[in-house]
Amino acid sequence: MYRDHVDLIYRYAYRLCGEVEAAKDLVQETFLNAYRGLKDFRGEAQVSTWLYTIASRACLRMRRKRKGEPERELSLDEFVPTSDGEFRLQIPMDGLTPEEALQNKELREALDQAINKLPKKYRMTLVLRDMEGLRAKEVGSIMGLNERAVKSRLHRARLFVRRELSARGITQEDHQARQ
Amino acid sequence: MTEKKTARTRHRRTSPHRHQPGEGRCMDILRQLSEYIDDELPSDICAELRHHLGACPNCEEFIASLRDTVKWCRNHQPPPLSAQERAMLRQEILQSSKLEARR
Repeated sequence: MYRDHVDLIYRYAYRLCGEVEAAKDLVQETFLNAYRGLKDFRGEAQVSTWLYTIASRACLRMRRKRKGEPERELSLDEFVPTSDGEFRLQIPMDGLTPEEALQNKELREALDQAINKLPKKYRMTLVLRDMEGLRAKEVGSIMGLNERAVKSRLHRARLFVRRELSARGITQEDHQARQ
Repeated sequence: MTEKKTARTRHRRTSPHRHQPGEGRCMDILRQLSEYIDDELPSDICAELRHHLGACPNCEEFIASLRDTVKWCRNHQPPPLSAQERAMLRQEILQSSKLEARR
């Protein structure tokens, strides 16, 4: 189980925690909890979904212990642009594939920071759905939500990241200098 | 891509009006953008939305920026674990597991 899933769970953990050491702690906690609960695993879900669920719960527990920050709700109203300049991103990546665009260090950092700023339940939804590529139904079963709630959280999370990128912007000079 | 861009630029110049942020229809669009991007809306709503986008450069720019954001998220890869880190982690998990079993 470890050999087949460690890379998957580490990638998920890194995306949730945003840094290496915390991600390794989460991987360790996840597999320890998985070994503890292995006898109760009935194989109704895929092993990967089961591990995602364990990792998600462990992450919520670890973050609560570390920070104890109150969970913020995101409202759609806060994402309504208030001036013409806010409708588009000031990030000159026209014509580039996503892979080419992400070679830009500043864009990668801006994206990391925006995702890390998301309240955790929104971050978890965005990571599972958009970054890990799970279906809304699977995300719902991992997070204990119905599909409607998953889609609603995902939408707010995406709008949040978009707004953070829009507020930051990357200039053409930065882009060229870092190519 | 160039063709698309040109069409968009041409449209912007000739568009009869520009909606304002927070206006009723634009707010409806904002609510449904993720489902639109994910191709999860019924076809009649999609057609209505496309019709609105064609007439509202602000919404068109907004959706393009949201689409870019989602694409970048989907393609953003974290640094992978090295073979050494993978082995060390396994060792630590086994040790903790053994310690637990002894208790």
